[in-house]
Amino acid sequence: MNEDKIVKSFDPAVMRRLVGYLKPYRIQTLIASAALLLLIASELLVPVIIQHAVDNHIMTEIVSIDGLRRDSLILLLLLVGGLAASFVQVYLMSVAGQGIMKNLRVQLLEHTAGQSLAFLGSCPVGSLVTRITNDVETISELFSSVIMTLIKNFLVMIGVIGVLFVLNVRLGTVAVITLPPVIIITLIFRKRARNAYRRVREKISAVNSFLSERVSGMKVVKIFARETEVNRLFGKRNGELLAADFSEMYVFAVFRPLISFMSTFSLAAVIYFGAGLNSRGAVSLGVLIAFLDLVRKFFRPLQQISEQFTVMQSAIAGGERIFDLLDTEDRIPDCGGECRDLDIADGVSLSFEDVKFSYKEGDPVLRGVSFEAAAGETVAIAGYTGSGKSTIANLAARFWDADEGRILISGIESRNLPLQLLRRTVQAVQQDVFLFSGSIRENIALGREFTDQQLLSAAETSMLRPVLDNIDGGLDYQLTEGGTNLSGGQRQLIAFTRVIAHDPPVLILDEATASIDTETEKLIQAGLKNLLENRTAIVIAHRLSTIRDADRILVLSSGKIIESGTHRQLLDADGFYSNLYNLQFGL
Amino acid sequence: MLKEYRRLLPWFRKYLPMYIPGIICLLVTDAGLLYIPRLTKEAIDIVAAGSPDLQLVLRLCLLMTGIALLVTIGRFGWRYFITGSARRIESGLRSALFQHILGLQPDFFEKRKTGDIMARFTNDMRAIRMACGMAVVSLVDGVFMAAFILVILFVNYPALAGWIIIPLPVLAVLVLGMGRMLGRRTKRVQESFASLSSIVQETFSGIRVFKTLSRESYAVDKFSESNDEYIRRSMSLVRIWGLFFPLINFLAGCTTLLLLWFGGLQVIDGVITPGDFAAVLSYLNLLVWPMMGAGFTINWLERGAASLSRVGELLDAESDIKTENTYGQPDEEPRGGLEVRNLEFCWPESTEPVLEGISFSLPRGSTLGIFGRTGSGKSSLVNLIPRLYDPPPETIFIGGRDIRSFDLKKLRGAVGLVPQESFLFSETIKENISFAADGAPDEKIMDAAEFSTIARDLNEFPFGWDTMVGERGHSLSGGQKQRIAVSRAYLTDPEIIIFDDCLSAVDAETESNILNQFIKKRAGRTSIIISNRTASLASADLIIVLEDGRISARGTHSELIEQKGLYRSIYRLQQVEHERR
Repeated sequence: MNEDKIVKSFDPAVMRRLVGYLKPYRIQTLIASAALLLLIASELLVPVIIQHAVDNHIMTEIVSIDGLRRDSLILLLLLVGGLAASFVQVYLMSVAGQGIMKNLRVQLLEHTAGQSLAFLGSCPVGSLVTRITNDVETISELFSSVIMTLIKNFLVMIGVIGVLFVLNVRLGTVAVITLPPVIIITLIFRKRARNAYRRVREKISAVNSFLSERVSGMKVVKIFARETEVNRLFGKRNGELLAADFSEMYVFAVFRPLISFMSTFSLAAVIYFGAGLNSRGAVSLGVLIAFLDLVRKFFRPLQQISEQFTVMQSAIAGGERIFDLLDTEDRIPDCGGECRDLDIADGVSLSFEDVKFSYKEGDPVLRGVSFEAAAGETVAIAGYTGSGKSTIANLAARFWDADEGRILISGIESRNLPLQLLRRTVQAVQQDVFLFSGSIRENIALGREFTDQQLLSAAETSMLRPVLDNIDGGLDYQLTEGGTNLSGGQRQLIAFTRVIAHDPPVLILDEATASIDTETEKLIQAGLKNLLENRTAIVIAHRLSTIRDADRILVLSSGKIIESGTHRQLLDADGFYSNLYNLQFGL
Repeated sequence: MLKEYRRLLPWFRKYLPMYIPGIICLLVTDAGLLYIPRLTKEAIDIVAAGSPDLQLVLRLCLLMTGIALLVTIGRFGWRYFITGSARRIESGLRSALFQHILGLQPDFFEKRKTGDIMARFTNDMRAIRMACGMAVVSLVDGVFMAAFILVILFVNYPALAGWIIIPLPVLAVLVLGMGRMLGRRTKRVQESFASLSSIVQETFSGIRVFKTLSRESYAVDKFSESNDEYIRRSMSLVRIWGLFFPLINFLAGCTTLLLLWFGGLQVIDGVITPGDFAAVLSYLNLLVWPMMGAGFTINWLERGAASLSRVGELLDAESDIKTENTYGQPDEEPRGGLEVRNLEFCWPESTEPVLEGISFSLPRGSTLGIFGRTGSGKSSLVNLIPRLYDPPPETIFIGGRDIRSFDLKKLRGAVGLVPQESFLFSETIKENISFAADGAPDEKIMDAAEFSTIARDLNEFPFGWDTMVGERGHSLSGGQKQRIAVSRAYLTDPEIIIFDDCLSAVDAETESNILNQFIKKRAGRTSIIISNRTASLASADLIIVLEDGRISARGTHSELIEQKGLYRSIYRLQQVEHERR
């Protein structure tokens, strides 16, 4: 995924696909377009009505107050009509834009969340957030305002040129002569403005990310007394931002005044040549006055059009990034027609048969692992960091698929089970707890229906109950992001409760390595014991007690199982395990 | 409201040489804009009079182009001078604010969220820039244009002027009122957007949990709910926004309508001439912007004032710890043994002491172990030594001198603390290690990397030690982060180094390796090690046991395991586990 993808040219395919989202809003778009035409008509008609009133009712021999009243009323109607039409147009297109945005967001999140962990692991979370929030926002803006205003501005400009030529071909040509330089200026400006804008964005994000890092890492800055250095680095980035700001300002400070200069220049040309043509009777005074108004009308949208192009371009870039994500298909394949069902009544066994796996080609992590965990058995896996322990958990839950060999769940190959069923049966839990902001109840249930009774009894089993009794609101206690308002031990107990409530027949537990004070440790051990009871469990062990209590221990080294047996047996064998044990737990 | 702007006075004074030419440019532009319609009218009158003098028309047209050129330069000028100053003020203020908070101490940052501080650097700065730039422009522009045109209108057409300007104050009030409403609703939309983002953030940070329990649908539902709320708020904004510009156009159109009716009647009655009618029409067009601008100006100024008061709050924040020492000799380097005398410490705004009656003395070159439960005050105690929090005077001494008498920068340079939670910057591993040591040679950095054993992980990283850390780079394990943090402190080779349980995520074998090497290399300088493992403290010269902020026992490892108490009971617990095999 390319974060800073830059759309060099207008990509019609992306635009077509974007416009395709308008389909469900056909009626709204149609009404909005009609309202837009009405709006353009009313804007163009206002000067005409004034002209009419002045020529026919005020500045004639026979003045007519009735006529003036009638024209005033028409003008009022036009104004009210314009007001209504523009509100209807903006409102309906916003409805469409917001609706598109709403569905697109949910679709994107659902799609992305369904991708494999391999894919998700390769995307920085921040960039996914940007896709789903900001990029979608730009697209909504495209629909709700930019497209319609662009169309309106184009129509007005084309309309003006048309009217100019209908009124008088020669004077029309004079008025249009300034057009080529205006187009050239606009094109140059567009490019410069885009570059300047991009540079400003880059510098802003450099300043902001520097700031937010230093603020959240302020303690480190203080500890090492690096204030002067940090301030210097900040000053450098801040200075670069100012320079980028200025170069953006120059672009606008030149373009805007230049366009209005061209407008006045064009006006002067029309007056001079108009006067000449008038003296030869080729142009009437009324037409000349109309031209002055029309030239002004022509230049007004030009001021906006180039900026709207910029918005459109960033919407297209955003669209491209979104479609990139939507078109990514990197899911774990769910079994096709031959899904098998699973009987979990008598417990579930799990076995690996000569499983080989590598994350990166040529860098094998598992080199043929075979073992069986019978229903209800607790198997511990021991080994050094990097021996492939966590990979076993990843494969059993099918976060990745094995390259070779088979993984059997109660004798059925796991690929032949529906993914949902498999994940409900085999749950690979990391003890590195993830809690999100919300109540404890929400964090345990994750949207599944549980009665308070069920939740409390799960909390009882996991030893979370005493914690719940001691905090305000119990299950409804609100956690901050990451659950930082609880202690590490309490967080772990919530994670245990989560597993007990969801009750998977097979549990694969990756124990945390962090050292906890001995009393918290005891609390966790008690919860852990209950957690492992009555289910098949594979524990990637970092804790002495877990290893000792396991029915069997598998020792993993360089992707192969090299020893297996009970704690006692393995120690007596005085092999790799006893060595590892002494190093890791020797006091 | 104006009170807040007093803070900007020095800045305005500094940029006065920019603002004055800017305002002159603005007035030139306005005058030119007022003059061009007159020239047009004159030219049209010549044409209307029949058989025009083309030379005269040409001269008028050239004059018009000349004035247009002047207006162009004027417009460039005010943008350059006024919006340029605004950007400079923004940039300068941002810099000043950053410098100020850099001087604040950790207690300040603990009370505030990073996002909250960031908002003052981003949104508030933008609002201040608008107030210093566009608000000034539209204020000057509006006052000048409005005053000029109103004078012309009321002097020349007193009977008409009263009628036709009726919609204009309505317009200004409308822009102001709706602007406030828009501001409020925009804020609500932004809040909702922020919570939407944080849900996406949480979903993908915790995607593994959702997948494990096959509950992706829960994340989607939660997101969907928040998304609906966001759309609802957006629509309530759109309803006002959709009405805003159309209403402005409508009211501007109403002035034309009033002119057509009342002006038309007056032309018919012969009170004004048709030429006057046309002139008033063009003046009205010029009046719309200043009136609209008045509403915007007030909005900009209000938001700017609110932002200034928020920024001011940070600028006025003071730290309890003063960087400048009040006594002692600032040139002196902290050297020598560490002594703590009868230390009592409470958190600011609290009277309950977290540390009480702490006394110990540590000769230069020896190693202190600190042992205790979570929350017993271990981290508080070591945070006082580099004055991250300020100890009471005359309680902590280095080389016999109160640490408060040293220059703060020198003190912190002499005390290397490795905190429990390792914080790394999103930079390369090498930059992180050499964060505190300017221009350290590569061999030294490599040596520091070897020391914490992070060196042997380097070839696992895609770009070795030039691998980026964090969000956009390689994600490191907890143990790897901790070892980098240890290397970072080690590289500065401080007089006193403190490990605050900072190898907890590293396996036991590696930890003991690091600590063994460490004690060997530290010969001659002082070290403090906090740990939950009695075994890690075994080789310390002195161990103090903290319970509820007091020293409950002290001695060497062998002495402590002979005494009844926490240390022995934990030691036994750990020992029993060891022996049960």
